[in-house]
Amino acid sequence: MTLAERTPLATEPPPPARRSRRGGAGARPWLLLAPALLVMGGLLLYPLLRVLVLSLQDFGLRELVSGRTHWVGFDNYAELLGNTDLWETVLPNTVVFAVVAVAFTVVFGTLVALLLARLTPVVRGLVTTAIMVAWAMPAVTGTYVWVFVFTPGDGIAVQALDALGLVDAATANPFSGRMSFYAVAALNVVHHGFPFVALTVLAGLLTIPRELTEAAIMDGAGAWRRFWSLTFPMLRPVFAVVTVLSTIWDFKVFTQIYLMPGGDGVNRNVLTLGTWSYVESFAQNRYGLGAAIAVLLTALLLVITVAYLRLLFREREL
Amino acid sequence: MKTVAKGLGVTGVLVFTLFPVYLMIVTALNGEADVGSRTLWPDEWTVRNFAYVIGEGGFGRYLANSLAVALATVLAGGLLALLAAVAVARFRFRFRTSVLVMVLIIQMVPVEALVIPLFIQARTMAMLDTLVGLVVVYLAFSLPFAIWTLRGFVAAVPVELEEAAYLDGASWGRMFRSVLLPLVAPGLVATSVFSFIVAWNEFIFALTFMADDQNYTVAVGLRRFFGQHATDWGAVMAASTLITIPVMVFFVIAQKRLTDGLVAGAVKG
Repeated sequence: MTLAERTPLATEPPPPARRSRRGGAGARPWLLLAPALLVMGGLLLYPLLRVLVLSLQDFGLRELVSGRTHWVGFDNYAELLGNTDLWETVLPNTVVFAVVAVAFTVVFGTLVALLLARLTPVVRGLVTTAIMVAWAMPAVTGTYVWVFVFTPGDGIAVQALDALGLVDAATANPFSGRMSFYAVAALNVVHHGFPFVALTVLAGLLTIPRELTEAAIMDGAGAWRRFWSLTFPMLRPVFAVVTVLSTIWDFKVFTQIYLMPGGDGVNRNVLTLGTWSYVESFAQNRYGLGAAIAVLLTALLLVITVAYLRLLFREREL
Repeated sequence: MKTVAKGLGVTGVLVFTLFPVYLMIVTALNGEADVGSRTLWPDEWTVRNFAYVIGEGGFGRYLANSLAVALATVLAGGLLALLAAVAVARFRFRFRTSVLVMVLIIQMVPVEALVIPLFIQARTMAMLDTLVGLVVVYLAFSLPFAIWTLRGFVAAVPVELEEAAYLDGASWGRMFRSVLLPLVAPGLVATSVFSFIVAWNEFIFALTFMADDQNYTVAVGLRRFFGQHATDWGAVMAASTLITIPVMVFFVIAQKRLTDGLVAGAVKG
């Protein structure tokens, strides 16, 4: 779901719906909505309730085969919250990675947007197309290329770092250490995620009247001062939306972590809430515990989403 | 900003964005016996890797599977989303805002939370290991965004045009086909591209649902070229190139509409 993860909900073209003169037209809107609501209700909302129910059950291979249910109350949550792995490894991995990845994505994306805004239309078009290419690269293939770049021994990056005297190519394995694993993951996620930020911020920059920037220059404001006193306050809503959306996406990054060496649960030091939930469910057949982990992740995302919705509602009428 | 600084900036951005793509294609075309991961410019060029992945590698089959799944998702999704978009853009009814908020909220749900119950459900319904099962899931994933985007396009069509059609004696269905559909066609192109990419790129569900390698999609089929100890990077990159190129072509087609959407969505008013 590359694009799903990286495409804003806020891509709403023109204005909010006008009041139809045939307004309040009884059953017709519901008939039109029915197929879509059925699909989304059956495949998104119902499973969400189901995962909540599963998290209260001991659901393993036996239950999967027999279809019986075995209620255990909050045992899965007790096990989850009592597991030191959660507090020492999984939660820090998930949260710190998301925060760092978001910070880099937003800062780098903004810098690129500021650069794009100063280019001539032809060069800007060229660079924008290159950025689109990075955006279009599927998560699966993008991840494999970055893994290739950091291949222990003869990967280009490992060789380059060796040449700089930073690592020893003969022994260095970027995927074994927690920090280096996530450094590679962050590079991958930023590469994939910054185009959205850059293009959205650029769109905002182009709405700032030239006169304001020119006046600030006349007043002797440098680039740094102009950004913080003029650009940032004017584009505060744009920055808020790209930050919240990037946060939601980076919290639930799955494919990019899972496909890295050891990311599929082999190296427990690099588990995130998402990969842990998946591994418990499908590798250990402990669907109940996996569901409890998924519920925890969903709850975290719900908090962030509520913040996002409040922003949307504040900015424009829904 | 100084011209030199701009030039450096542009070069930096171009290198960072295009380097992985460049490396992928060059490695796929690398004809040297040992595809070393250091090679930036191979001595020998070949399309052997492509021939291998499509032939012996079975990748042709995965491409066909992915294409079938993606096209089915696009067709069904486009129809369902358009109907729903007309409902929320053209009618005021109770719970309209609730429907819209729900469409927004379900985008937040992590796939990990859905894959567990849907796997159990699909198993019960004997939908595992079928392409139809994947289409149904991807339909659900692509619908919220498609509805959200299309509703803007539908709202932009003047109501007066619809009313003129009624005055000319057209039925609602006739008006829908002759007035609304042609005018929201650009929106349908954008959402179709989006739905296609959702289905084409999806990994977790394809990994979890598909047991028989005859049913793999491209994202999962790629893993075939990873050995226990050695990886055939030439094959991996050739297959990756085959997966990536269609997405990039679609992105270029949709570029204008995607960025227009971004602009309209990000900028107030």
